[in-house]
Amino acid sequence: MESFLNTFIIQALHGIVYGCLLFLVSAGLTLVFGMMNVLNIAHVSFYMLGAYFSYQMLKIVGNFWIGLVVCPILVGLLGILMERLLLRRVHAAGHVQEFVITFGILFVINELVKWIWGTAPLRVPIPPILSGSVTILGNVYPAYRLFILFFSILILGFLFYVLMKTRLGITVRAAVADRDMVSALGTNTHRVFMLVMGLGAWLAGLAGVIAGPFISTYPGMALEILTDCFIVTVTGGLGSLLGAVVASFLIGQLSSFGILFIPRLAIVFAFLLMAVILIIKPSGLFGEKA
Amino acid sequence: MEKKNFYLSIGIASAALAILFPYILPKFQLRMVTEIIIMALFAMTWKMLFDEGGMFSFGHALYFGLGAYASALAWLHIRGLSFISGVLLGGLVAGLMGFILGAFLVRMSGTYFALLTLAFNQLVWAVVWKWREVTGGDDGLGKFPKPDLLGISMKDPANFYYLSLCIVGICLFICWHYTKTPLGNILRSIKSNEERAKFIGFNVSASKLILLTMMGFFAGISGALYAQFQEFIATSAIDLGMSTNVLFMAFIGGTGYFWGPLLGSGIFVYLSEYLSSLTDRWELIFGMIFVVIVILAPQGILGIFKKK
Repeated sequence: MESFLNTFIIQALHGIVYGCLLFLVSAGLTLVFGMMNVLNIAHVSFYMLGAYFSYQMLKIVGNFWIGLVVCPILVGLLGILMERLLLRRVHAAGHVQEFVITFGILFVINELVKWIWGTAPLRVPIPPILSGSVTILGNVYPAYRLFILFFSILILGFLFYVLMKTRLGITVRAAVADRDMVSALGTNTHRVFMLVMGLGAWLAGLAGVIAGPFISTYPGMALEILTDCFIVTVTGGLGSLLGAVVASFLIGQLSSFGILFIPRLAIVFAFLLMAVILIIKPSGLFGEKA
Repeated sequence: MEKKNFYLSIGIASAALAILFPYILPKFQLRMVTEIIIMALFAMTWKMLFDEGGMFSFGHALYFGLGAYASALAWLHIRGLSFISGVLLGGLVAGLMGFILGAFLVRMSGTYFALLTLAFNQLVWAVVWKWREVTGGDDGLGKFPKPDLLGISMKDPANFYYLSLCIVGICLFICWHYTKTPLGNILRSIKSNEERAKFIGFNVSASKLILLTMMGFFAGISGALYAQFQEFIATSAIDLGMSTNVLFMAFIGGTGYFWGPLLGSGIFVYLSEYLSSLTDRWELIFGMIFVVIVILAPQGILGIFKKK
């Protein structure tokens, strides 16, 4: 019985940590796709780029923490560049066009990454301070994973602050409610779009840097998380940050316990959850409009 | 009048060309043309859902793959099943699935619709993948018979090409005719303003459900043809990659134009064959081509020539 409880706790912790990672990627997608309605498949490429940039940074500078600050900013700038040069032109055309162009960008980034860093998985060592482990209720647990948890909570707080208290956040929320009106009131909605895209890419890059030491860095990591983070964004309700938090948590637990109990069907649990929730509530958990 | 003559002559010329293909093309390219024709029907069903019904299907490989697997299994297990019956069976199974899932789907709109179709696709894909005893899992299904049709051997690529051309031609004609019927008009009114169509008194859900069922049926037929074309069927026919491929095909040609899917599947199949034989980094070039097409021709290739 004791050992079962321990497995249970460890598995729940795994789920929470994966959920946190998922949340970091999906939070950016919630901003870009959920709120601004820009269908950006390449979002997961930014996540991958964050991980690879961090690997490269560690090689050059030798310090994880400098990478944690610098790499997401670089990725964010790439996001801004992509919005300014490409996505802005096609946003009016619709989702199909956005889908095709961002999928094209994902292809290009994927191939470039393979070209530069090769296809073999790269190992990013855990920073020395966090390489130890912590004892939780009699279980030994890697400290780095707990760091992911606390860092995600920090980012969540930061995002709520930005959205609720800053001028950018207020403009974004207003633009979600009525974009034309915000534009008519004299706000440069183009610039708001660009900044939000940058913020979204920054978040994805941050998730990538954090993920590096946790899961290995390899070219397939973008596509692997693609469906999961779209599931989170939609299941939680488009544009709802709280929804993204709850959905990430649910998917994290599902995949963690799914692998434990029914490994044969673990891959479909996330889809099953999404299908059931959407059938019961067509606008997702916390979404307002269908 | 002159314009009509112009289109008529183009039509006759391309029909003549289509009939002559087996005589003028080498075997390898005839195979490619056959694949293009089969894929064109699949892309057409996506385009019809999107353009006529305003529905963005993100899991369209579900119907294609289901048709392929259903017909392949039928040929494998039902002794003496004819070619046409197998194809029709594939279509019926996929159409039935379209009807059942459609009951859930008609209530959704926009992104939620797209993601629910994706979820259904992945669920069925997982079943196909894991149910090894029946579907062969990731080993796929092969060695199902290729029955003769009226004593004509379908193993001959030219005969198979003609049959695919006929079946796809009939299906495309029905799709085209459908847009001219009153039901097609209702769908157009729904697409332009769903609320208004409801207020006028049209049954929005039923109209969408009919379209979903029909397009499931045709996608299933293209899947069944694809199974016979490859003489093998694997999970790649029902996975997410196939669902995105059909979207690319429909987009490249132009979703707003009837011949868009045919042109799109032609370009897509040709490019993927050509580029992958050219270099290992073909996805890089592919991605760049997508970006360029979206920037230069946001309404697809046909959108450049015709202004709506």
